[in-house]
Amino acid sequence: MKKSSIFGLVVIAIAIAVIVVVYAGASTYGSFKDAKQTESMLRVVGQLDKQKELYYDAAKDANYFSFYVKDKKGEECKVVFRGTEPQDFQKSEQIVLTGQMVGDEFHASEILMKCPSKYTKDKIDVTDAKAKSATI
Amino acid sequence: MDKAFQGEHLLPGHLGQFFVILSFGGALLSTLSYYFATTNKDLADNSWQRLGRWGFIINALSIVGVGVCLFYILYNHYFEYHYAWSYTSVNLPVYYLVSGFWNGQEGGFLLWTFWQGVLGMILIWKAKSWEKPVMTVMAFSQLWLASMLLGIEIFGAKIGSSPFLLLRKAMADAPIFSQPNYLSFIKDGQGMNPLLQNYWMVIHPPTLFLGLASVVVPFSYAVAGLWQRKYKEWVVPAIPYALFACMILGTGVVMGSLWAYESLNFGGFWAWDPVENASIFPWLILVGGLHVLIVYKNSGHSYFTAVFLVLASFILVLYQSFLARSGILGDTSVHSFVDNGLFWHLVAFVLVFLGLALYLIISRYKEMPISKKDEETYSREFWMFVGAIFLGLSCLHLILVTSIPVWNRTFGTKLAPPIDLVEHYNIIQASFAMVITVLTGFTQFLKYKKTDTARFFISTLVYLLVAVLITVPVDYFSGLYKLHFVFQLVMLGSVYSLLVNGKVLIDALKGKFKLAGSAVAHIGFGLMLAGAIIAAGTRGLVSVNESGTVAIAGFDKSSQGNKISGDSHENMMIYKNEPVKMGPYMVTYVGDSTSEPDHFYKIDYRRFDDKGKMIESFELKPKVQLNDKMGMTSSPDTKHYLTHDLYTHVTALPQPKEAPTADAQAAAAHGDANDDKNYDPPIPHEIAIGDTIRFREGYMVLRALKKETAIQNIPMTDSDVAIGAKIDIVSNNKNYSAEPVYMIRGKSVFDFSRTVDDVGLKLRLTRIIPEKNKVEITVYQQPENKKPWVVMRALDFPFINLLWSGTLIMIFGFLLSIFRRNKEIKPV
Repeated sequence: MKKSSIFGLVVIAIAIAVIVVVYAGASTYGSFKDAKQTESMLRVVGQLDKQKELYYDAAKDANYFSFYVKDKKGEECKVVFRGTEPQDFQKSEQIVLTGQMVGDEFHASEILMKCPSKYTKDKIDVTDAKAKSATI
Repeated sequence: MDKAFQGEHLLPGHLGQFFVILSFGGALLSTLSYYFATTNKDLADNSWQRLGRWGFIINALSIVGVGVCLFYILYNHYFEYHYAWSYTSVNLPVYYLVSGFWNGQEGGFLLWTFWQGVLGMILIWKAKSWEKPVMTVMAFSQLWLASMLLGIEIFGAKIGSSPFLLLRKAMADAPIFSQPNYLSFIKDGQGMNPLLQNYWMVIHPPTLFLGLASVVVPFSYAVAGLWQRKYKEWVVPAIPYALFACMILGTGVVMGSLWAYESLNFGGFWAWDPVENASIFPWLILVGGLHVLIVYKNSGHSYFTAVFLVLASFILVLYQSFLARSGILGDTSVHSFVDNGLFWHLVAFVLVFLGLALYLIISRYKEMPISKKDEETYSREFWMFVGAIFLGLSCLHLILVTSIPVWNRTFGTKLAPPIDLVEHYNIIQASFAMVITVLTGFTQFLKYKKTDTARFFISTLVYLLVAVLITVPVDYFSGLYKLHFVFQLVMLGSVYSLLVNGKVLIDALKGKFKLAGSAVAHIGFGLMLAGAIIAAGTRGLVSVNESGTVAIAGFDKSSQGNKISGDSHENMMIYKNEPVKMGPYMVTYVGDSTSEPDHFYKIDYRRFDDKGKMIESFELKPKVQLNDKMGMTSSPDTKHYLTHDLYTHVTALPQPKEAPTADAQAAAAHGDANDDKNYDPPIPHEIAIGDTIRFREGYMVLRALKKETAIQNIPMTDSDVAIGAKIDIVSNNKNYSAEPVYMIRGKSVFDFSRTVDDVGLKLRLTRIIPEKNKVEITVYQQPENKKPWVVMRALDFPFINLLWSGTLIMIFGFLLSIFRRNKEIKPV
């Protein structure tokens, strides 16, 4: 066999491996109900319940922010984020949370927001917030 | 046009729109003319070529005209234009108006087409016999870019988006626009996102767009070569342009990450955001393409790979533009634009050029000079080829993950990106980086065609051994050994590449100077990777809570050891004037200052040696903009050292209405007793002169009692008696003084309290007890949480300067190579 064919096979193998890793690693969008049934982390898409309290008291814990989110199926859940309130949080019209259930609370490690711009309905800005971790 | 509106300035818009259409017309004329010039068999006939040149010049000049009109509108704040209204405001300084210029998608296209116009001019001047076919492709690409700015509708489909769109057209439904004098209500634009008000935003976009625009040149050469069946000849003239594109695009991307690091608050220089990833697709592929072009030039191997990668690099430029502008990344990216109706137009832009590239590859495949012979295993060309393929694989991985929303849309799936996305990218990309750094090392010991194997193995292994000997202590002292082993392998690869290329550079300086360019670029690349790995991997958290401030007990316990929240206690609250120990520093929030629209929070850092002697003291002023439209926007301030950076930003502030200082000041001014509820219950103290009162954060001493002759603006009469108590206060090693006053007027008694905001104290002289020779001082102290505070996050980035200096060195290496390769072009 020619060397270039062997190398070609190696490259194809790596490419397939990459595709498999990506799709094995890919997560899914779920609901709080799904989150309660699984141990692993997942992403939940929902809306901030603006009627309920947003809790942040820097004097008690500067890394504790909690709020209530209604997922797409209408289920509501308390969400805890280990960080500060992200920019534009209260203006968001949709939130993507990444995390898992701990007891009755959903602990989010990342919040991604879609915010409508104040004046133009057709424009949407997206901002992202992560509970920062010191690992690479 | 049916209604007359007052106060609109329509001329610059009409003129601008005229130039937009003229630029489209010029590009069309140029494309067609150059096409006929290329296909014309009569070589003596230059008329088509002349026409093509004129078309291109018209196009380029019109683009300048569009730019001038747009800037005129922004400069004069004509908010009847949607663009001016959306991105600028009256109080924006002129240099930010420049960044407002490319704030929107239209401005981005304008910048892109401008640079492509400049490059086209250079090609007309320099390309000689290649001008006709190369410029056909360039003009065709200009045609597409010009169409992006047209802003017209044909059969309901939107073709392009014009920067001269009027506000009342953009939002035709809004009732305000039914009034002819609507403009008198629109006094100001929306203003620019505070994050973009940064000098990097003035220079980063032009650099990045020049980089993106210049990728079209090697692409055009490749297309021209295949089209004209001059399969071999296009390679040599394309190399300097490919080097130029790699150099500028790389610079632009790193400038973007420098901007993110200096002024954004995600705490790093690279976040693997889809838009960031997309900007390096073409870079990775073109760097790979560049290497195989050189392989082909020197050995005749890897022709197909070279063609493929060069063509792919420009397709990826178009693809990244689609990803960033079509709104498809809405769910996954922070930076992406919103679709403004151009989705299918952008798709068409990608597909047309993809189709062109595929057609040429397929139809010319059989004629391509693909070598039948296998490369030698111990040859430089083989391993350079392998390196290029690995760059391609690294890019493939980025594309696969970044495009998840595209796959979802195409195949109707509902995939979400991996949960720990950063980790996912870091590990996989580090694996590729490791292979690539090792290849940039040992390939230097190989020669083209055939190499003496024994010598090759000896030198490779000797250098590898030295690299291991260096990497181990580096690993240990930087703390890299705590990370995933793959990062240590990248470190080893980088060190190895640095050593080998250092040797090549030394040899080059001794004589073989033309090899210096690649050695310098590889050294820069190695340093960049080493810097990035150390800075991101061993990033230290400075704002850790070491003093044991209150935390919600239950919560912390339940989540301790929990993967989500284990490392995320990064924010720390500090009260004004209360020093807190953070890492090696004593940190104090000492005050704030305002220079609208920025609020600066002064954070004082001090470092002491073991004996308690201060060895360092500096102040950082992280910035916050509070703005109704954008909310709270925070930008860091960074202390730069040679070997590390200390990065600080504010993450939360007291709600403005609760701000105790404002209340206390208002209360003091009005003598308002309601203010007392801002304090803990008052404590009266009976003391004599010289006595001390202790309070939570310090103590105070009554120095003297003295008769006052005037109290603020209250006129005193002879029958009034006023006594002031001079009190010195010491809190947190700082001295303050206050003088509350007690006053008798007729039969009434008043007292005038004094507040010391920095300490959160209010003092009243409430009673005078002559028989005991004492006075009663009532002390009001603010509860902890009413005192001014900020929540901040401080990070330490070790050796981040390696990343920046590595980039500079790499750019310099590219520059050297451009000079060298430029000399190799023989005029045809």
